[in-house]
Amino acid sequence: MLIEFIPGDTLIHRLDVRTKMFGFLGFIILSFLFKDPKYQLLILTLTGILAFWIKIPLRKVGGMLVPLIPIILSIILITGFTFAPERFNQVSSQTILFYALPGDRLGATVGGFLMGATFILRLFSMMIASSVLTLTTPMDDFTQFFHKMKVPVEISMMLTTAIRFIPTLDKKRRLIIEAQKARGTKFNDKGIVGPIRSYIPIMIPMFINSILMANSLSMAMLNRGYGLTRTWTALREISFAPRDYWAISCIVLLLTVAFIVRYSLHLGVL
Amino acid sequence: MELIESAIELKNVSYRYPSAVEPSVKNVSLIVKKGTFIVLMGATGAGKTTLSLCLNGLIPQLLEGELTGRISVAGHDVRKTAVQSLSRVLGLVLQDPETQIIGRTVEEDTAFGPRNFLIPLVEIKQRVNQILEKVRLKGYNQRLTEELSGGEKQRLAIAGVLVMEPEILVLDEPTSELDPIGRSEIYETLDDLRRKKDLTILLVEHSSEEVIKKADEIVVLNQGEVAWSGPPTELFRNIPLLGQWGIRPLPVSQIGWEFYEKGWISFDEIPLDIPSAEGMLRALLPIYGRWQRAVQGQSMDMILKQETHGPEKVNAVQVSDLIYQYNSGQPALRGINLTIESGQFVALIGQNGAGKTTLAKHFNGLLKPTSGEVSVEGMNTLHYDTSELSKTIGYVFQNPDHQIFSATVEKELEFGLKNAGFKSKEIKERIEQVLHYTGLEKLRSVHPFSLGKGERQMIAMASILVLRPKLLIIDEPTTGSDWAGVQTMMALIRKLHAAGTTIVMISHDMDLVAQYAKRVIVLKDGGILLDGTPQDVFSHEQILLDSAIIPPQLCRLSSQLKDILANETFIESSEFTALFESGEKRGCL
Repeated sequence: MLIEFIPGDTLIHRLDVRTKMFGFLGFIILSFLFKDPKYQLLILTLTGILAFWIKIPLRKVGGMLVPLIPIILSIILITGFTFAPERFNQVSSQTILFYALPGDRLGATVGGFLMGATFILRLFSMMIASSVLTLTTPMDDFTQFFHKMKVPVEISMMLTTAIRFIPTLDKKRRLIIEAQKARGTKFNDKGIVGPIRSYIPIMIPMFINSILMANSLSMAMLNRGYGLTRTWTALREISFAPRDYWAISCIVLLLTVAFIVRYSLHLGVL
Repeated sequence: MELIESAIELKNVSYRYPSAVEPSVKNVSLIVKKGTFIVLMGATGAGKTTLSLCLNGLIPQLLEGELTGRISVAGHDVRKTAVQSLSRVLGLVLQDPETQIIGRTVEEDTAFGPRNFLIPLVEIKQRVNQILEKVRLKGYNQRLTEELSGGEKQRLAIAGVLVMEPEILVLDEPTSELDPIGRSEIYETLDDLRRKKDLTILLVEHSSEEVIKKADEIVVLNQGEVAWSGPPTELFRNIPLLGQWGIRPLPVSQIGWEFYEKGWISFDEIPLDIPSAEGMLRALLPIYGRWQRAVQGQSMDMILKQETHGPEKVNAVQVSDLIYQYNSGQPALRGINLTIESGQFVALIGQNGAGKTTLAKHFNGLLKPTSGEVSVEGMNTLHYDTSELSKTIGYVFQNPDHQIFSATVEKELEFGLKNAGFKSKEIKERIEQVLHYTGLEKLRSVHPFSLGKGERQMIAMASILVLRPKLLIIDEPTTGSDWAGVQTMMALIRKLHAAGTTIVMISHDMDLVAQYAKRVIVLKDGGILLDGTPQDVFSHEQILLDSAIIPPQLCRLSSQLKDILANETFIESSEFTALFESGEKRGCL
């Protein structure tokens, strides 16, 4: 699930939300510039340092990564076999290791496996970068960001309420599962229809409860004046501090260096 | 004569929901004077909630339907003023606090209203702090709303409305889902508010004990119409009237009513609190009393003996050294040892977080012990799935809406039986029987969600009863029900108990616990504090106070009359009236 904001007082916590969003965008560009896993490893290390700096809760991140292992393995296998040698610029990447099928079909290329590794490292650095962003930025800052980006109030309101209700709905879900278990529902039915059928008793009360909740939520919002005006008082005015300009300069510098390395020196490709 | 400004004025107001045949509110005319505290009472479905939605314009502005008559709130015509604007005049707090909390932190949530009115940030901050202090949530600003207790959430919901500084506050059953502590917190808050500001308060409420002293006037709705209005004391002394409108009477006034009927006291002498009941009994005993303590005591012993020498030897529940710990938290249960014999009627009481539900969930295997052992009907829960245990152990949860998913009542009952793998003939027979038993026969092909909360609760109960459990666990079977609903449910539970089902009931309603349970277990901080007969447990007033339990009214009355009753604790009003069995004047004792 989403990792939520944890209060803290590191430099990253104090940066303006716009700076952080820009930095996040920078990381995305950076990781899509390079195809060589060595460079990806460098980017991952960089995000890792940031994560370490803000004292990321390792157990939570670990919990997010473990279920991904089967996906990781399959990504490597798929890229390894499906990327044809012609797609790589470097000779070393074009080397074919072996063929999966007789008659020289479906060859596993070195470049393919390297590409797979890149995909995975890219995935990891994205996950860490986005965790760093959400962990250090309170929800209200994001709403402010949307506001500054001229996103309509309705949308940012929708996002914030959705996030507020995630734990509530999760609690509902647990209560419903318990109530149905007490009536003998089994959740390990075999076959294709079995699992679907056993989730109907969970999903229907879940839908009904959500609708009921949404109904009274809309009443409660009207009760409190929502919709009278199309805007509202901002709880915190976000503003740039000198540190934000420094941070933005660093990010721009880093990106420039990366572009030079990639397009002038032609490094980091496969 | 000075003209007193009215806060709310209703004239011939009727409202019909779009899909309904009958109007929910019929021809209601009502004037609420400024600065008064009015309590709206009546059975479920009497139109109390509908009426409160009319007051701030949600009807007809959000909910469609047919509204006739005139509603004016502090001089504003409700039809012509937007709900949002009315919210600065009349604050409406709805039943479920969960869906009224919009912000993630307490401060963010409280600020929601004023932000919509574009009030400057500095003033918002000031107001938020002021209001949080008023509702006794001072210093909670940065707390996450998700982590608040039920009572705190409800107070936050009140704060969210009050922060817009309305002149009138309307609260729709704000305490129905709370434990006694949460309830008293809300009432103390309301008291504070009334004293500090001349706020008009309209409260919709089921329970009676708290409102009597606070309300200036009670308005009773019956099937959408105003059936009665007047001072609370007059209503609560009139027991037959209360019965007619499905309002729960006070136990002490029930005793008083009997004496009034016998002509021993006047109507105004019917007691409404413990001191006056004590005074009445002390005054009447020497004149009419017949001392029967010896007989009473004996019959009580008899009942207890029957209880302990049950015919079966297998224990329904056997818990030894049970410790349970939620992930990385404090232990929720610390070393519970407990035996519940077959056929007992046990009540688990204690404040929220004491571990009642955690313990009960061990009985049907929803939770497995961290250490120690739980065995139910001879089965160690470690070796059985909840789905297997569900065939012998029934668990009825507090909120029926968490389990109802079928299109008809009949299908809903079928679900558990199908899971248990019964044949269709057997399924039919059992459903037939339970429908009859629970009085749901007429509703068999109705969609459960078109029924009221009390009926849905009964459906949830029936869907467990079809499995014919030997042990039945019921978590708060009466929250949110009106008095009639409470009585039907309790009568059913008593019938099941008489038929030999072991009952474990979790409840905050001490009157019911005392009246129905044969054994009371008090939990505190994950341990057993007291365990005994209701008479025994409720006589420990001081110990109970530590875990925020107030004994039922009649038990408190008994302890006031210790010298007369020789330390006996009475739990039924008939036990008191039995002291006066002969009914004839006997002169001094």
